[in-house]
Amino acid sequence: MKRLLRMSYLVGGVAGLGFFAMSVLLLGVWPGRVLEQQIRGTSPDHPLALTASEKRGRTVYAREGCAYCHTQQIRYLPGDVARFGAATLAWETIFDYPHLWGTRRIGPDLSREGSVRSADWQLSHLYAPRALVADSVMPAFSWLFDGAPDRPRQDAQDLLAYLETLGRDRALAGPEGEARARAACNCSDDEKRFGFGSPVLNASPSMARRQGDYPKLSSSGDLTRGQQLYSRDCGGCHGISGQGNGPGAAGLHPRPENLSEHEYTLDRLASSLWNGSVGTAMPAWRDLPVQDLSALAQIVRGFHAAQPEPTLPQDVLALGSRVYAAHCAQCHGENGAGDGSAAGQFPIAPTNFRTQRPSLAASLRALRNGVEGTPMAPWTSQLSEAELSAAAYFVRGFFQGAN
Amino acid sequence: MNESPPPAGSPPVETRLVYAHGLAALITLLISVGFGVLASIELLIPDLAGGHGAWLSWGRLRYDHTQGIMLGWLGNAFFAFLYHAVPILTGRSVTSARLGQWMFGLWNFAVVAPGWVLVLAGFSQPLEWAEFPLVIDVFVVLALVLAIVQFLPPFFSRGLEDLYVSSWYIIGGLVFTLLAYPMGNFVPELIPGARGAAFSGLWIHDAIGLFVTPLALAILYFVIPAATRRPIFSHFLSMLGFWLLFFLYPLNGTHHYIFSVIPMSAQIGAITASTLLGVDVVLVVANLLLSLRGAGWFPRDVALRFVSTGTVFYLIVSIQGSVQAQMAVNQSVHFSDWVVGHSHLAMLGFASFSAAGGLIHVWQRIPWARYNPMMLGWSYWLLAAGVVVMVSDLTVAGLAEARLWQTSAPWIESVRAAQPFWLIRTLTFVPIGAGFVTLLIGLTTGDRGGGLLAIRDTVGLEPIKEIAPVFSEPL
Repeated sequence: MKRLLRMSYLVGGVAGLGFFAMSVLLLGVWPGRVLEQQIRGTSPDHPLALTASEKRGRTVYAREGCAYCHTQQIRYLPGDVARFGAATLAWETIFDYPHLWGTRRIGPDLSREGSVRSADWQLSHLYAPRALVADSVMPAFSWLFDGAPDRPRQDAQDLLAYLETLGRDRALAGPEGEARARAACNCSDDEKRFGFGSPVLNASPSMARRQGDYPKLSSSGDLTRGQQLYSRDCGGCHGISGQGNGPGAAGLHPRPENLSEHEYTLDRLASSLWNGSVGTAMPAWRDLPVQDLSALAQIVRGFHAAQPEPTLPQDVLALGSRVYAAHCAQCHGENGAGDGSAAGQFPIAPTNFRTQRPSLAASLRALRNGVEGTPMAPWTSQLSEAELSAAAYFVRGFFQGAN
Repeated sequence: MNESPPPAGSPPVETRLVYAHGLAALITLLISVGFGVLASIELLIPDLAGGHGAWLSWGRLRYDHTQGIMLGWLGNAFFAFLYHAVPILTGRSVTSARLGQWMFGLWNFAVVAPGWVLVLAGFSQPLEWAEFPLVIDVFVVLALVLAIVQFLPPFFSRGLEDLYVSSWYIIGGLVFTLLAYPMGNFVPELIPGARGAAFSGLWIHDAIGLFVTPLALAILYFVIPAATRRPIFSHFLSMLGFWLLFFLYPLNGTHHYIFSVIPMSAQIGAITASTLLGVDVVLVVANLLLSLRGAGWFPRDVALRFVSTGTVFYLIVSIQGSVQAQMAVNQSVHFSDWVVGHSHLAMLGFASFSAAGGLIHVWQRIPWARYNPMMLGWSYWLLAAGVVVMVSDLTVAGLAEARLWQTSAPWIESVRAAQPFWLIRTLTFVPIGAGFVTLLIGLTTGDRGGGLLAIRDTVGLEPIKEIAPVFSEPL
């Protein structure tokens, strides 16, 4: 026996061939069959396959080594589910030739990245990551662009298209799909808990949402801490003095808000910080503690220099009121709360003037030029100069006061 | 074994092929280390390439780093060793010196060099240890077939005679790798997603476990008796170690995807195999260290010194591997720099120390090769210091990242926390880079035939041509 075990034929045949075959059967073929069965039971009937552009984007993602810093695999663990959302099901990766699971996370998992960020954010971030995320170590992929973040070449457009597919199929499956998959899944309780039991499919703290509860911020906050956070997390887009002119602003449409031209209620800032701003590049900051958000709110409100308000003749206000009712209320709402009858149809919510007061100059500028990247159009062809001014004055009156 | 001693006077070793592969190994090593250090600097200065450097972007450098280390450095070093060891172990020459020249050209000029360039130009596949594009994989498979044709017939032509442990590792490793390589490189392109990942996990482990490990162990089992002139401590333990290793290693693969959607029973099987593998490595290493007794922890023969330190690294990295495969540990350290530290301990500690020891050992026995013992001494200490600092640093970095990931802190906090550790990791390039440069200098300067003198100095014996008897103790 001992002699036999030292023979070249046995070594080559059993150790080389036999054990190879055994491992492939036990850890490749057999799990593959179980997974195939799982996929058949849990997959939606018609998951969206990748378009030609999305497929090309996937190749860009593969060739630049994105998967070596970003996993696409949410594990069946409380920590993973809390941070990223429901654990990855087998069918979610059926179009991945080859898979892009990854084994290292320098950046966050991207399984559900598709719905987290706006397109202009993604492009600007690919072009110059540190303009938007100060401490990022991601390579700048500026060679995929024609010299500016809003001039993506084909590769960057395809990559963006691919990024936007991440998590799409699972989101489209909807609650019915989830319920059906859960019933069909021949899996353990733990797997069910992590695979389906997550309160949200996508737990990213940066994902903007149209509405949602937000915490009450305190009107006092540590200004030093706030300043530090602002220059690190906000200054890239909004600029160091809040004028919306940070290095990351150039590629964003709409442009980041000029914070120094607006007065905000505390709740308005809380809502923007906590929920982000859907349709714009403003992400949510739900991963920052409330005292940090309070400190940030202090800094933002500090950008606005209070000026004496002119008192206006009644007839100007009356004209403003008429113009507003005729042209603005459909979107901005009768009471200026941004809740007009048409508001729901827009990807970006109309400004709520009750919680945010633009300076006169900002208000006039928006009326004259429109706000690029939003449904707000220029009104110069329809309104006279007097009407424009009157409306600009009028909307400022909705503001409910800073506190 | 006494009944079938190898024929007296081993057949001539193809020293020119040994030398060519050895030199190619050292040059590709320095280039691969260059890719690695550039990638590590880019984590500290992400805009190093100026944003216009598609060819020098992090992802592409990262692909070339590991492929260069595995195929360029270790592949060439293993071939150099095989050209020396196979004739001595079998008493027969390799199949053909002409074939050897073709293999050398194929490996370096159809695999490693074009593989690197294609990756930098944007042609690659995003699979770990399989980053070279498919067209290169075809040439790798061809080269692996030729390697079998070149190196295995001398073993098989010995018929039913039994073989020394290094021979088993060479046969098993070459056969297994030829089968496993296509599985890791082609199958995930054909089978998507989670199902493909199961195969990918197998290859991630097979690349290390059934290519690098067996050939590195073949070197350890060869150099230790050859340099100490004493047979291995126990041939029975060698045999037990070999069979357990070849049985258990292939079953480890799924431990790269613990807590994934891959069936839990496959994961648990892989974790069990990983645990048992640690036990097996204790057997293997005990056997090797007992064979080294009397030589001291830092033997005077620098080849033996590299090899004995490689043995110790092998023990540490394997136990670490068993530990990090456990669910309780894996759930926090997986995805972190801990694992990067682990793979450097395996490839830079265990495999590179074994390969360097093997290379120095065969160099000593090429009568016309230059040999500079002082430089090689420096190389050893620089590399040993560099590896220890780098791996400790990355291990602590991994723990720091893992701790932050357990909290609700924003993701970027873990990137910030890693920065000082990444700086230290990059600084370890100084001793490691210098260690590899002195290795190259040590093997290209000095007196011709200086290696033979060094053996006489350190072992106090005339180098004997016929060293085969140390490989053939009865069980």
